[in-house]
Amino acid sequence: MAGPRVTPFSVVTVAFVAVFLLLVLTLIITDISYTDAKSLREALTSREVLHALWLSVFTSLTSVAIIVVFAIPVGYALSRYRFPGHAVVEALVDLPIVLPPVVIGLSLLVFFSTPIGKWIETTWVEFVYSVQGIILCQFIVSASFGIRAAAAAFDSVDRRLENLALTLGCTRGQAFWRVALPMARNGIVAGAIVAWAHAVGLFGPLMIFAGTTRMKTEVLPTTVALELSIGRIEVALAVALVMLAAAAAALVLVHALAGARRWWPG
Amino acid sequence: MIRVRDLNLRIGTFALRDLSLQVAQGDYFVLLGPTGSGKTLFIECLCGLLRPDAGTIEIDGRDVTHLAPRLRGIGYVPQHQGLFPHLSVEDNIAFPLRTRRLPRAEIKERVGPLVDLLGIGPLLRRWPAHLSGGERQKVALARALAPHPKLLLLDEPVSALDESSRERLCSELHRIHEELQITTLHVSHSVEEALSIGNRAGVLNAGEVVQTGSLTELLRRPASEFVARFFRTENIVPAAATPLPGGGSELSFAGHQLRVAGHHEGSVTFVIRAESLAIHPKGAAVSNGIEATLTRLSERGLYRRLEFRAGVPLVAFSTLPAETFRVGESYRVALPPEAIHVLPPDSLS
Repeated sequence: MAGPRVTPFSVVTVAFVAVFLLLVLTLIITDISYTDAKSLREALTSREVLHALWLSVFTSLTSVAIIVVFAIPVGYALSRYRFPGHAVVEALVDLPIVLPPVVIGLSLLVFFSTPIGKWIETTWVEFVYSVQGIILCQFIVSASFGIRAAAAAFDSVDRRLENLALTLGCTRGQAFWRVALPMARNGIVAGAIVAWAHAVGLFGPLMIFAGTTRMKTEVLPTTVALELSIGRIEVALAVALVMLAAAAAALVLVHALAGARRWWPG
Repeated sequence: MIRVRDLNLRIGTFALRDLSLQVAQGDYFVLLGPTGSGKTLFIECLCGLLRPDAGTIEIDGRDVTHLAPRLRGIGYVPQHQGLFPHLSVEDNIAFPLRTRRLPRAEIKERVGPLVDLLGIGPLLRRWPAHLSGGERQKVALARALAPHPKLLLLDEPVSALDESSRERLCSELHRIHEELQITTLHVSHSVEEALSIGNRAGVLNAGEVVQTGSLTELLRRPASEFVARFFRTENIVPAAATPLPGGGSELSFAGHQLRVAGHHEGSVTFVIRAESLAIHPKGAAVSNGIEATLTRLSERGLYRRLEFRAGVPLVAFSTLPAETFRVGESYRVALPPEAIHVLPPDSLS
């Protein structure tokens, strides 16, 4: 059976892959070797760490659910409609991707110190130094990833099929639900996973906006920082390994979905 | 029945202009036109995917010009077939019925006969990506027919197929039309396709319907040089016409005189199809004949294509063996008066 042809070019590119993998694996192996079973057990049985783990899972999944609710219509509108200022809107949607997350945390803190922000806090929901604040922060920082992925997924759906669905008895909304959305599903799910991975690892803006109070607003990245600050580097690394495993699982899923792109054959 | 009146639509620099067309109940009408003539735009106006700037569209006596596509009672098969890749063949066919929330039993009842009619039973569990071009067309056709539309719109349904699949599908389309008697508008750029299925046709050029009629009329009595050329009439000859005292007219060109029916006068252009010319030996006594020299003979399988020079170039088809003819020799070429068609004086080229 003929395999891929080995050429000097392919050797060079694969060598680069190997070097990069070596770098990543070295870091992971170093983390694993630095910690031990006792630290890992201690980390996984600690009330504070378990609370942080639960809060990380709860907040990140909630923010991703909200991201998906926003990403689908926003991504669809960006993909399908050309309106005045389309390029500006696209740039604004992408802004959180390029902005340092700390800046977003700071901006949120400043906003909630304005009269409107204070009014929201007193009459609606408290955000500053609260769990809701964690969700808001994760949403704003990570939503762009979900929106961008959804827009790309809708771009890949042939618009003519949606139009054809109109002649087959669909309203515009039905054409969206029955044709565009199912066909864009994998891309949207992949985007949601990337957004989740980003949200679950968020630290800087949370420290500014939601605080680092143990058993209240402490999420896993905060735990790593707090454990480090009191010199328990093994426990910090054990928590980091838990996060690493979760992130690796998420990314494997993303790549599997991105590789398949569709769940139907063809 | 479809009645389109003075339809106008401008998209960029292209426009459908004052397009009027009528297709009778149960007719199989083929709208012909070269690429870029506006066929797909017109069909999308009928579907409701494009809104015309002016004009009206009636289907079965009801003005549907401003109705949503789903309320027009049409079945549409686009050029790209448009099978949904995330649905199986069965789910694709049932799609318009599920959209209308029909009970499962009724969906089964409607899909079954269509599947039998088109012979696509073995394909039901397959995915669109695993179908051949012909199979995809049949599935798209079944899906369009499933909701029992009043009007079937087919946009170049066989143009992407190979020749044998094209012929097979054309026969299928003809059979299905015979069985269902559904008013059909079939858009195509192929004259052969039109001749093999349609009973009436129209020709679209640069956004305007330039002629409608039976296919025989379009073939033998083109309204303009454009239609004649589109139907691949090769003999288009400018001549001077003089009315004859006893009726009919005489056409003079390149030193030849021919008789033709009807009253014609002045500078005209006449057309005659290559298959209507009859070739006789030089000097033979034939009426309405001219002397012509054979300049080229080419084999076309069932017939031979003969190119003559008689002051003007003429082309004839003959089913006689190639050995009958010798390039460079003169022949008597007969142009039967009833086969000669003088283009209307105001016809556009």
